[in-house]
Amino acid sequence: MATEPLTDQTTLQGPAAWEAEAAREKVHGIGPWRLGARRLRRNKVALLFGALFVLLVAVCVAAPLWANNVAHTTPTENHLSDTIQVNGETKNVVGLDGVPIGPTWHGEFFLGADPNGRDIMVRLLYGGRNSLLIGVTAALMTTILSIVFGLIAGYFRGGSDAVIRSLLDILWSFPVVILGVALGVALALGGLKIGPISISGDSLLIPIFIIGVVYIPYMARPVRGQVLALREKEFVEAARAQGAGPLRIMFTEVLPNLASTILVFFTLLIANAVLLEAALSFLGAGIQPPNPSWGTMIDDGVDRIATAPHLAIVPGVMLVLTVLSLNVFGDGVRDALDPRAKIRIEH
Amino acid sequence: MGKMRRRALVLLVAALSMLVIAACGDDDDGGGGDGGGGEAKTGGSITISETSQPDYLDPALSYTVNGWEPLSTVYTGLTGYKRAEGQEGAQLVPSLATALPKVSEDGKTYEMTLRKGLKYSDGTPVKASDFEHAIKRVLNLESGGTAFFLGIEGAPDYVEAGKAEADIPGIETDDASGKITITLTEPDGSFSNVLAMPFASLVPGDTPFRNLTESPPPGVGQYKITESVPNRQFVLEKNANFPTNLTDDPPGNVDKITVKIVKNAQRQAQDVISGELDYMQDPPPADIKPEVKAKYSDRYEEITTASTYYMFMNTRVAPFNKKEVREAVNWGLDKPALARLFAGEVTPGCSFLPPGMPGYDKALDVEDCPWGNPNEPPDLEKARQMIKDAGVDGMDVTVWGNNDDPTDKVTEAYADQLTKMGFNAKPKILDGGVYFQTIGNAKTAPQTGFANWFQDFPHPKNFMFLVDGKSIQPTNNQNFGNVDDPEITKGIAELNLQPEITDEVAAQWQDLNRKLVERAWVAPYGHRKLATFVSERMDFDNCTRFHPVWNNDYTSFCLK
Amino acid sequence: MARFIVRRLIQMVLVMFAVSLLTFLIFNVIPNGDPAVRMAGRQPTETQIEAIRKEWGFDDNVFVQYKTMMEKVLTGDLKSYFTQLPVGEEIKKGLPRTLSLAIGAAILWMFVAICFGLYSAMKAGKFADRFLTIIALIGISIPVFWIGALMNYYLGFKLGWFPNGGYVEFTKDPVDWFYHLILPWTALAILFIGFYSRVLRSNVLDTINEDYVRTARAKGLSERRILVRHVLRNSLIPIVTLWGLDFGFVVGGGAILTETVFDLQGVGQYAAESIGQLDVPPVLAVTLFAAFFIVLLNAIVDIMYAYLDPRIRLQ
Repeated sequence: MATEPLTDQTTLQGPAAWEAEAAREKVHGIGPWRLGARRLRRNKVALLFGALFVLLVAVCVAAPLWANNVAHTTPTENHLSDTIQVNGETKNVVGLDGVPIGPTWHGEFFLGADPNGRDIMVRLLYGGRNSLLIGVTAALMTTILSIVFGLIAGYFRGGSDAVIRSLLDILWSFPVVILGVALGVALALGGLKIGPISISGDSLLIPIFIIGVVYIPYMARPVRGQVLALREKEFVEAARAQGAGPLRIMFTEVLPNLASTILVFFTLLIANAVLLEAALSFLGAGIQPPNPSWGTMIDDGVDRIATAPHLAIVPGVMLVLTVLSLNVFGDGVRDALDPRAKIRIEH
Repeated sequence: MGKMRRRALVLLVAALSMLVIAACGDDDDGGGGDGGGGEAKTGGSITISETSQPDYLDPALSYTVNGWEPLSTVYTGLTGYKRAEGQEGAQLVPSLATALPKVSEDGKTYEMTLRKGLKYSDGTPVKASDFEHAIKRVLNLESGGTAFFLGIEGAPDYVEAGKAEADIPGIETDDASGKITITLTEPDGSFSNVLAMPFASLVPGDTPFRNLTESPPPGVGQYKITESVPNRQFVLEKNANFPTNLTDDPPGNVDKITVKIVKNAQRQAQDVISGELDYMQDPPPADIKPEVKAKYSDRYEEITTASTYYMFMNTRVAPFNKKEVREAVNWGLDKPALARLFAGEVTPGCSFLPPGMPGYDKALDVEDCPWGNPNEPPDLEKARQMIKDAGVDGMDVTVWGNNDDPTDKVTEAYADQLTKMGFNAKPKILDGGVYFQTIGNAKTAPQTGFANWFQDFPHPKNFMFLVDGKSIQPTNNQNFGNVDDPEITKGIAELNLQPEITDEVAAQWQDLNRKLVERAWVAPYGHRKLATFVSERMDFDNCTRFHPVWNNDYTSFCLK
Repeated sequence: MARFIVRRLIQMVLVMFAVSLLTFLIFNVIPNGDPAVRMAGRQPTETQIEAIRKEWGFDDNVFVQYKTMMEKVLTGDLKSYFTQLPVGEEIKKGLPRTLSLAIGAAILWMFVAICFGLYSAMKAGKFADRFLTIIALIGISIPVFWIGALMNYYLGFKLGWFPNGGYVEFTKDPVDWFYHLILPWTALAILFIGFYSRVLRSNVLDTINEDYVRTARAKGLSERRILVRHVLRNSLIPIVTLWGLDFGFVVGGGAILTETVFDLQGVGQYAAESIGQLDVPPVLAVTLFAAFFIVLLNAIVDIMYAYLDPRIRLQ
């Protein structure tokens, strides 16, 4: 790259190419969003993975369809003593020695059974629902709170900034996994009771809440940084001069400019949230049994890795595919909206 | 230098005398697989594993298999058990006492004499008064074994007063003659067994009144603990001062046993296969078992233990306060299904008293089971109907369990079965370390959940106290179902006064067991098999002995 | 500069205070039920529970309880009620293991990430770059506990190429120590390699376009010299600071998963097990310790940054 002569535009690649194109586009006055969309369209790999993600989500959402019509069972129903017909042979779903059946590639027990005789495919899909639901909702929660905190801290500065910064520092310093596991275990035991609000121990809201809170500093800081910078820009000065109140300015001037940052972060947050949920569930601090999640399935699967490796491999592969597709797509979105990659997740 | 020479000499004499005894001693093994014969090789060191750190390495406090398995080779009481397998091993024999206790007519006084010339592993002579000191430690430290000794005169007052050095009037000892006299407030047919528990093992009279896990006290045993790093490992080494005239307690074979704490059961099994470990305390997990059974059956054996796995049903809360509901659960409980979760290590059954226990009725476990043969699928329809008729179908039920493998899976399966019976059942899994305290706390008021019991000693009282109305307490309750059947409670009290378990007494225990099961106070589903699995270098055929109370007997281990 | 350092130190203390308060709240206030019963361990008797209640002040109000607990922590008088073992001892035993894991993995991931990132940047836009980017993205998408468990079983037990988990002390056998840590290091590093190689790549690409690089090139310096002297050095600064933060993160609890999977018995695993048992003293101690680590490294990084960038210093 460093040896490319800068004058030959047709052979430019990478960021420099986009720079040049941006310069070209600016002349014609196409807005940044359409520009971004165009770039994204050109990034075939990112689009492919984006489609993969949508496919995975769709498949998981369709879990009840599979469960009722193809597998004829629920994710928690045990079939310990049942037998099924596979290629004319009658086989135990779970053998007398406790070893569950492997993938049958038929409607029932398509991917095999777990030691309780439950259908892996059904659990995988329902587990995906849980994992994705938690991931997306947690990411949403983080995003909203980060925007709020970032706006207040960055725009008003002074006292509120100091308070919010300290809050973020504390959260940031708290060892993430320990915090997550501690909260998860403590809340799973007795649920959460704050005044009139009462949430039971196995509610999904608990992992959502934990993951949502834990990631706030990761996004709030960059948002705050951007708000700080934006606030000094001319159009904000102008709005202020026109007599617009802070709330108005935040919503009409600052927020739209944060949009690309927020979008990129949101995508990557979902990926991280799904991973964290799996980690917490693996340690027993996330989704509680018998509800499935990819994390709990991996946890159970590792215990049977010698006799039934599909139990650990299948949910792991699903997890990797989902997170990877989000990461690649999110990366593509970032490249499309901000080729100079000013947005970076400070890990 | 001198000390070492002297010790070497002692060891030499001990070794020679062992050889003499071994050469002259009887070859008393009845079948294959139990050591004790004259073919065991001595010497060498082995490394074994436990899945978790023993609750305590202090004989006054330890009350788990983890603890008792090693401690039974380090500490000995006035009475003990024959170190043999099966029924033979359940036989009470005198250990540090010269003979089994002489019990008075009214059953309240126990007289014994301490053997002469006994020494602890550090050379300190054993005195009769050490026995009282040991019991004081149990009571003063508020050990889990306290209940067993509260029947001694003055013991409850001692506990109340809380003064360590106070006297217990019910225990009288005379160091000069070695005489020990124990007076109970009322007869207790199981007391001789209680004396054989590690709680009652003798320790030196100056042993401090605190938890000595990090530096366990000396004892009279084949081995002594020479190193203790909690959560990592502890080391047992042959005790040179072990008396050679305790004929029912053969000396150990290997010189050194390193006990490692390895939390992962799969790793333990893999290490025993590869030889990194010589023995693992728990059976190989379900994941590795098929391989072990297929390839290493020459060093693997499963043994039925005196244990019962059951579901408790809290008779004080809905819906299990209704008898029909409890009966329905027993009808609908899928015992063979649950057995599969134990990889076949649970033999389905309906009896509460386990095999090997006086009062056990094999018929009750098979054809006489009031809920149908436990090896067959259950009558789910009947269960469903009964629950509907009782008006509790659709009711929310929380099913308690812990996260030990496979308890969590069993709990999930049980919850699923209850759901199939018509409830809205959900499992609630707690950490294994806090489970029993939590369900044993009245404030928790659990509806139903997982429970099991392995015998502490071969006397029916040890099992029946779990369903005795008198043993209900607000915390640390072991009667999880709060079972309070006046007829059964009375029966237990009466039968417990019997000094000996004659055939007639055994028949009466049998009757009590039957009533318990028929009245659906609990929902038993089987008895557990444990295993002996050793490495290649261990002599499996001659040197492994599974004892009904102590589990695998370390003193039998030897290398090829 | 001195004032800056002092300010950061004060901040550190305040943050630690807040973290301790939060941990206390989580464990003593949130779960319903009697903390004394939970803490009393196995087979608690009424007297034991009463004694615990008195000792920890559960009958007192929340503030007194907190004060009592902090006193215990600071005087080192913390005993796990569950195992009756002093918490400080356990942490001391586990610390070398956690540090061995963290430091080794950190070195590994930095080295590989720099190689990948640099190469990726040099071949920007070409196939090699795209390929490495995908590899990096896969790396950050793989859950460490999953890949760790698979590696442990297949490479460790099945193929026998590596030991089957566990940890050997360095003082006992350095070679075996290293051998046992290869798989855990790899598992932990995979995630960070992915991340860092991409950050380095974009940093390098940014720097390459800077004016001073063009000047250096115009002056006639060789590509390699430019790369190393100017580009790499400048790209590394943000990397190093991120590295400091992540290292603190790993020691501070990120290693929990790896330690659990490979059974390394480090501080992280100790924390995870204690949490499951709701054993407050060890969890409190480990949390504070981990937070301290993170806060300390954050402060060091900030101070370093301030030293390098006068603008921040003078704020």
